[in-house]
Amino acid sequence: MMKALSLLSLTLCAAGLARAQMVVPAQPAGQGGAMPTAPSGFDASGSSVKPASNDPAHRGETPNPQLLGMEIPLLDPASDSVSYNGGRFDVGNNAAVRAMFEKYLQQTPDDSTESKRYRDLINRILKETQKSGRDGRYTIGSGSLVNIGLSLYEADKYPGDGGQSGMLASSIVSAIDVQRKNLQRDKQSARLMEEYNKHIERANQMQNASQYRKDGRSIGGGKKGAGGGGGAGDVNVLAIAQDVKQAAKKEALEAANTAANEAGLAASKVNYQSVLISLLMSRRFDHAVIGARVYRHVYKDGDTQLKMKKDSKASELFTGVAGMPPTVNAIDSLASNARREVDQSIQAVYNMLAQNKLGEATQHLIEAVAIGEYMQSVATFPMEARQRIARYWTLRKRALSALNARDYNTVEEIARKMKEMDEDFDDSLLLSYTAGKKRQSDLALRNAFKALKKGDEDAFNQYIQEAGIIWPLNPQLEQGAKQLVQYDEGDAEKEEFRRLLELKSYRRIAREKERFKIVNTDPELAKKYEEVITLVMRMDGMLEQIRSVAGQDTALGPCMAYEKMVQWQKENEDFAADSEMKEALHEFESLAHDFVQALRDAAACEERREFGSALSGYYRAQCKYPHSELAAQGIRRVTDIIVRASYN
Amino acid sequence: MAARRARHSKKKGGAAALLLVLGGVGVAALIALLGSGVLRKSSVRGLEPTAHFRIADYRKDGSRFASAGNSYVFDGRVENIETIGNDRVVCISLADNPDERLPLLVPAQVNLRGVNLTRNDRFIFQVSCRTGTTPEGEQVRGVLVVNKVEIP
Repeated sequence: MMKALSLLSLTLCAAGLARAQMVVPAQPAGQGGAMPTAPSGFDASGSSVKPASNDPAHRGETPNPQLLGMEIPLLDPASDSVSYNGGRFDVGNNAAVRAMFEKYLQQTPDDSTESKRYRDLINRILKETQKSGRDGRYTIGSGSLVNIGLSLYEADKYPGDGGQSGMLASSIVSAIDVQRKNLQRDKQSARLMEEYNKHIERANQMQNASQYRKDGRSIGGGKKGAGGGGGAGDVNVLAIAQDVKQAAKKEALEAANTAANEAGLAASKVNYQSVLISLLMSRRFDHAVIGARVYRHVYKDGDTQLKMKKDSKASELFTGVAGMPPTVNAIDSLASNARREVDQSIQAVYNMLAQNKLGEATQHLIEAVAIGEYMQSVATFPMEARQRIARYWTLRKRALSALNARDYNTVEEIARKMKEMDEDFDDSLLLSYTAGKKRQSDLALRNAFKALKKGDEDAFNQYIQEAGIIWPLNPQLEQGAKQLVQYDEGDAEKEEFRRLLELKSYRRIAREKERFKIVNTDPELAKKYEEVITLVMRMDGMLEQIRSVAGQDTALGPCMAYEKMVQWQKENEDFAADSEMKEALHEFESLAHDFVQALRDAAACEERREFGSALSGYYRAQCKYPHSELAAQGIRRVTDIIVRASYN
Repeated sequence: MAARRARHSKKKGGAAALLLVLGGVGVAALIALLGSGVLRKSSVRGLEPTAHFRIADYRKDGSRFASAGNSYVFDGRVENIETIGNDRVVCISLADNPDERLPLLVPAQVNLRGVNLTRNDRFIFQVSCRTGTTPEGEQVRGVLVVNKVEIP
């Protein structure tokens, strides 16, 4: 039995250390994320969260790797957050809690016979710890302690227990064992004190007898020096010395026992308390309550104070979080409160599901699972309700992912779906946030396009980058990319545009005006582009008009059109260079052949200085088209020359 | 008898054919005479051309007409008169070719003997083709200068 207890004690130590490493302080959501400007998160009901810094340096604390340096997860209803290791965060936004919750949602409720038996056992143990005596106070007798221990060992057999019951039972047994040893040492100390007293008493008697004999000889004149004066006195002295020595030895042994008792008791308490803390941290609140209540009956000295340094983090933790001194009773209180909170949360979840308030139900279930994952009410939560919440939770998770990825369209779509599932879901935060970001991105893009039009490539790149960072999936970014490619390709277009300008090939520019639009990035070329397009449009208008007028009189119309076009070409060299104008001129030239030929012949004669023939030709042209200005000009010009000349 | 009658008849037919041929030649000669007479010489008394004038040739090479030193007679209607200083340039349409126009210089010093040139009236012009010189010393070739004018 002693061997088994020793083995259990060793197991306890190992288990205590192992449990101490189980709870990993979680990072609050929204910290160290890729998007510092994005909301740090939103809870399942859609309300915003206030992530607390988990950096110990910011809190002026130093991380404590010791057993009591760990935070106890406690729900703060005021902020819908849970405190871990001094940091407060939305449980729904914590990666560890999320993973745990998702696992929980996919698990089948534990309704097996073994599970029910296990829960019955735990409930029975809890009732055992609440037995009250005649005075109304909770008392646990030796029999109850034995029952509790046996029940805990029985519960330990259930796989879902995770060895917690066995660990607690071992701690109780170990504590009792220490107490028993202390009791043995106390008994031994009592015996030692008895012996001590006997030695002291005998030494006193011998001392008194020796003194009596000495006093008698001095009164009666005695036989001084005859045959042995002082021999018996010497024997007494030795005997007294022996007794005193034995008394001192007994006293020393008793002191050693007392010291061993105190040391054993202190070590035992620390050991037990560490198990309690471990159970609390691993959210085995049933076991923590059982252990805390048993503690008071195992250690009946009334000292329930947790053995921790006054200024330690653990000490602050207890006083800060729960407002109580660091005692075993505080553990009982914390665990009991947690149990109550979890049960209330689960009850709230049922109520909210009945009202189709999926957001709030999810939030409360997250809190219940985060705090009381091993609580019976949580473990037996029905599968159908879990699946309903799982569907909502998946949407919420997708919304968070989309938010982190800055995919605002998806966020809005999910928000709408969540609103459809839960009318109470407050989607205003998400929608206003995404709308703001989208507008911000669009504005940056607008600035980028304006910069591109001005030919400011640096500003364009800056604005495009800004727009992309704000909203990477902005559909207008593709347009920006195309414009950038066009801008890069625009150099060739600009060269071609300049070449065509030199050739006065305005028609080609107008035909490919979409292609040459890119030259607008250059202010000077943009002006030319505008001029060319306007000129071509003007020429097209003129041609259309003159064709219309020429068609009204088949005889004189072509003459008029030809003459008008010649006039235009003289007035504007751009008209003379235009292919369509040239083509139209040829067309009218052909239709007004006699008139044109007369003018040409006259001009040829004029060139040869045969002014008589020239004048004849101009008059002939005037016959063909009486309103001809060209003919009239020729007549005036040649007549003047003829008249001015002198003839032989 | 019949043979005589036939021979007689044959003689009569041959004479008719001869008359017909002669008549045709005569008519043709008359037409040719009438047709060529318009430009070569006026039907007006006193104004005789010294050479034949073809307006197409004139337009093609007016200088040749000037160097020839000939005079020509035109029957034409005055279409336009340009007066510059004391000189006039009269544009006429030919009676036999109204689509054509001929500009004629009527210098101030030419004595028209009382003929008043008015628009839309017919006149007979005797002209010569000359080459002039501008005050700047440049040649002015092939100008038809009026020598005489008569009313038809």
